Amino acid sequence: MTGPTPHYSALALLRARLAGGGFWRPLWTGRLLKQAYDVVVVGAGGHGLATAFHLARDHGLKVAVLEKRLVGYGNVGRNTTIVRSNYLLPENHYFYEDSLRRWETLSKDLNYNVMYSPRGVVDLALSDGDMIGAARRGNAMRLAGIDCEMMDRAALDRFCPELVASRDRRFPIFGALVQHRGGTVRHDAVAWGYARAATALGVDIIEDCEVTGLRTAAGVATGVETVKGYVQANRVLFATAGHTGMIGTMLGVTLPIETHLLQAMVTEPIKPMLNTVLVYVHPGHGETYLLQSDKGGLVMGGYLDGFPSYTREGQWSRMEDVVQGAIAMLPQAAGVKIVRQWAGINDMTMDGSPIIDRLRYDNVFLNAGWCYGGFKTIPASGAACAKLVASGTAPDLIKAYRLSRFETGHMLDERGGGPFPVRL
Amino acid sequence: MTRLTCPFCGPRELREFEFHKTLPEPGSTPYARVYERVNRLDDSLEHWQHVQGCRGWLLVRRNPSSGAVLETVILGGGAQ
Ligand SMILES: Cc1cc2nc3c(=O)[nH]c(=O)nc-3n(C[C@H](O)[C@H](O)[C@H](O)COP(=O)(O)OP(=O)(O)OC[C@H]3O[C@@H](n4cnc5c(N)ncnc54)[C@H](O)[C@@H]3O)c2cc1C
Ligand SMILES: [Zn+2]
Repeated sequence: MTGPTPHYSALALLRARLAGGGFWRPLWTGRLLKQAYDVVVVGAGGHGLATAFHLARDHGLKVAVLEKRLVGYGNVGRNTTIVRSNYLLPENHYFYEDSLRRWETLSKDLNYNVMYSPRGVVDLALSDGDMIGAARRGNAMRLAGIDCEMMDRAALDRFCPELVASRDRRFPIFGALVQHRGGTVRHDAVAWGYARAATALGVDIIEDCEVTGLRTAAGVATGVETVKGYVQANRVLFATAGHTGMIGTMLGVTLPIETHLLQAMVTEPIKPMLNTVLVYVHPGHGETYLLQSDKGGLVMGGYLDGFPSYTREGQWSRMEDVVQGAIAMLPQAAGVKIVRQWAGINDMTMDGSPIIDRLRYDNVFLNAGWCYGGFKTIPASGAACAKLVASGTAPDLIKAYRLSRFETGHMLDERGGGPFPVRL
Repeated sequence: MTRLTCPFCGPRELREFEFHKTLPEPGSTPYARVYERVNRLDDSLEHWQHVQGCRGWLLVRRNPSSGAVLETVILGGGAQ
């Protein structure tokens, strides 16, 4: 890689067109691993890259991001791109809302279009009980200063005509809780945008560089062993999402994390049809979330597959559930063909909330436990986690995400389901 | 992985079964037994239930990286 990262703008586009090539260049490849860094970040997913960006920009540190495979190969490139802050518990309100606010300006901050699309997130209520649950969550949000709107069937028909909320269904729609600023963000662009911005600040992103061990001396970490050799580090951050359970095993810590598959699928592109994001738990088929990508494909997903797995192969039966759930709400989509299906490995914690804390050593940190909802939190997590790693003290925003909360009984269990990630 | 073989009912579709949790390390504290999970890449020892069959509790050894089922034992009834 040569020269500084060019600034992107309409003018730059024009200039690139006139220059006829030569303007565009690789954004982060070609860096060589140095001997030592202030911070080594393990994992070039959204959280690793965002934290590295803030460590360099806000704290002026020398950082490397070591990635086992490729930038964006993990869940940051596999998720269904939904962002929202419609949570129930206060600790989560402020954190997720901080993140949603950052999405609004991220394209500018990174000088990279991440395609934030505030098309709204519609949590459908399919029973009277669902309506009560939605109102409770909505009230909690509004008490925390987060906007949301309860809609009845008629309002939903106006907001999302294609849903035909008033249609006669076996499980009729009662209404919905809608967060208008929620929506989608192009997932790959988030990885690429942070990687590009971090590289421009001098961060070394090294791909094909699996971390295989941690070296310690006198009770502190001194560096990491990698397949490309040993790297010295004053501080180490693990942001390995689905592989965090294994990192625990590597460090001799058993974590409150179970490793589960979540799959998603997309149909062939069709004309614009669905103008928002639908989320619901169908009494017959379980959870479905459904949106239309900018390319026109209907993107959908549902529950976890249900048992520990590192295979990245989804179960057929779960795919059936998701599709049946989708068609129950949008029967007009029944003839559309599914063209791709994939799965990601998720780090499910015992209360469904993340962990951002020290891990065993004073200078080793963990950013994990993102479960199936950690895409939307990337901007907030990156900024807050960088503060923790740089200063050694967790900022207020993430104090509740400490690892010891399970032992002290301060779980953040949104679902109220107890320590079983797949029990519903 | 698409099927599990219940020692009592025979080979059945996976959706008949429900995963419960991985087995804790022997000698774990009560806290660890409830909240911590053993994560192994190639050899996972787990409790499952055949909820839509005989409802028996199973001890299943699996390789979570390949999906291979290594061993299935029905709990209780002297089989263990
Ligand atoms: C199908 C699916 C749909 C989802 N939908 C949504 C959604 O709509 N909204 C939402 O908010 N969230 C969603 N999520 C969750 C979200 O994608 C994840 O929580 C989040 O991306 C995880 O953080 P990350 O981006 O840092 O992880 P990843 O991108 O997985 O990054 C971790 C990286 O660490 C690397 N790594 C692991 N071990 C090592 C090692 N030893 N050495 C070096 N590198 C290593 C991995 O290769 C990987 O690249 C979804 C997840 C899936 C799978
Ligand atoms: Zn059986």
